[in-house]
Amino acid sequence: MTTRPTVSGSGLTVRYGGSPALDNVSVRLQEGVTGLLGPNGAGKTTLLRVLATAVPPDRGAFTVLGHDPGTGAGRQEVRRRLGYLPQNPGFHPDFTAFAFVDYVAILKEFADRSARHREVRRVLDAVNLSEVRGKRIKRLSGGMRQRVALAAALLGDPGLLLLDEPTVGLDPEQRMQFREVIAEAGRHRTVLLSTHQTEDVAMLCQRVIVMAQGHVRFEGTPAELTARAAGRVWSSTERDPQARAGWRTGLGTFRNVGDPPQGADLLEPTLEDGYLLALDAQSVEAMSA
Amino acid sequence: MRDTGHDGTGWHADTDDLRAYARGELEAPRLWSVDTHLLACAPCRLALAEATDSRALDLGWERLDAELDAPRPGVFEALLMRCGVADHTARLLAATPVLRASWLGAVLLVLLMTVISVYTVHSPSLFLALAPLLPLAGVALSYGPALDPTYEMALVAPLHGFRLLMIRTVAVLVASLGLNGLASLALPGYGLRALAWLLPALALTATGLALTARLGQVTAPALVSGAWIALLAAAAATGHKTLPPFTGVGQGVAALVAVIAAVLLHRLRDRFDTASAPSLPTDLAHRSVA
Repeated sequence: MTTRPTVSGSGLTVRYGGSPALDNVSVRLQEGVTGLLGPNGAGKTTLLRVLATAVPPDRGAFTVLGHDPGTGAGRQEVRRRLGYLPQNPGFHPDFTAFAFVDYVAILKEFADRSARHREVRRVLDAVNLSEVRGKRIKRLSGGMRQRVALAAALLGDPGLLLLDEPTVGLDPEQRMQFREVIAEAGRHRTVLLSTHQTEDVAMLCQRVIVMAQGHVRFEGTPAELTARAAGRVWSSTERDPQARAGWRTGLGTFRNVGDPPQGADLLEPTLEDGYLLALDAQSVEAMSA
Repeated sequence: MRDTGHDGTGWHADTDDLRAYARGELEAPRLWSVDTHLLACAPCRLALAEATDSRALDLGWERLDAELDAPRPGVFEALLMRCGVADHTARLLAATPVLRASWLGAVLLVLLMTVISVYTVHSPSLFLALAPLLPLAGVALSYGPALDPTYEMALVAPLHGFRLLMIRTVAVLVASLGLNGLASLALPGYGLRALAWLLPALALTATGLALTARLGQVTAPALVSGAWIALLAAAAATGHKTLPPFTGVGQGVAALVAVIAAVLLHRLRDRFDTASAPSLPTDLAHRSVA
């Protein structure tokens, strides 16, 4: 049985001046967590902004939960069902965590004070910030601020949650806490999680989209992405010049990814190997520069 | 108010108020007052229990619990609420970047220096030229990706971008025109002439906003400011004692420009509901959460 997709779009194109940030992208998202992987400048943020209705595409169309954001009324309906955590969520630093989420709740049309405050308490509980709700945001750690922004995105129990690199800049413990919250949030809704960390995808995502230079390079499950690297990862004592990417491991040998030479010592592929192979050579070079 | 055993608070909540409170029908600011009082006054809590049925009482406690939980609003927000502004509007205004003591203080200082200059050179021209630019600058700085840290979150919220812009514009105009008005009061010798900045201020602000929809948040106000200064420079070259924009005809033209710009702004209102891709930071930007 196929369920109706939460997001369905095709031909999405956005140009910055002459060059395309998003070039003829098609996307289809269903319930669960989908990872959006790609290097800097791949177009991940632009795609999220388009889906969040912040930036209209220059070409192409899409629907969210059956609504067309190309019309004023459709855009309004999408926004009522949307949670969005931007790449650089800004804060009013003098607001407390509670006041800030309350402010976003007002923007999300929670006019009744009691109902709004109940909802603010609910989302702050969901991200485990109840204890610090009265603290000013400028006194919170980076990880806590990220969770305040996530709480704001969870207001109104949105059907679509768009998270733009939420784990960047967090320490491992904070990242783990954040992942727990995202995994919980993705149980009954559609989550699109932009990241350039394959660990996030391996731990959280049922599906993954790889982008580079404004194009979708891969779409499937993390296991399928890993499988693409089967037979294309090998070990050697020197970096193989034919490899798409290669690096010295802790064992002192080189791990090479690409098209192996005859008789190469093949290794078990990982999600990261599959990701590197999904990118074009130029993107891999830019990542290693 | 009941007048017996007030438990150190100095007063008791009225029985009718307690009944309305329990039914959830008591309105602010009386609601806040009773909320706060119930925390301190045991007799009133008992009176609340007697005044209502158990379901309503549960709702009352739930509301009281919520009040205890919610942090107190800041000084500016509390002041707005005392002036009768609804709490959600007060919160939206408290998040307006330029409605800060630092901005308002800077505007006041500029006006003070301008008023002093009027007394020094015995002409209000500098004041009349500068005063219309202050509301334009204030409004330009109150909305948009450059200065509003939550711009992107606000942009994708169901509240229409134009409505948020208008709420903030009205608040900034009230503050800015109020300060200009105070400065005018310091120039009693010039009579109504000291108010000749008002219509140009409205014209420049409305034109700046209307052009922002097409030219962006920086170019539009900069262009309007430049045009105003160029116009005044040209007017000064005519050698008239009263610069033409501040004569009766000039004021009429300013009013007309303000109306035309307001109509144009309204027609372009949907442009404030989304952003152009280049106006937002790119995904190449360095990430900072500190």
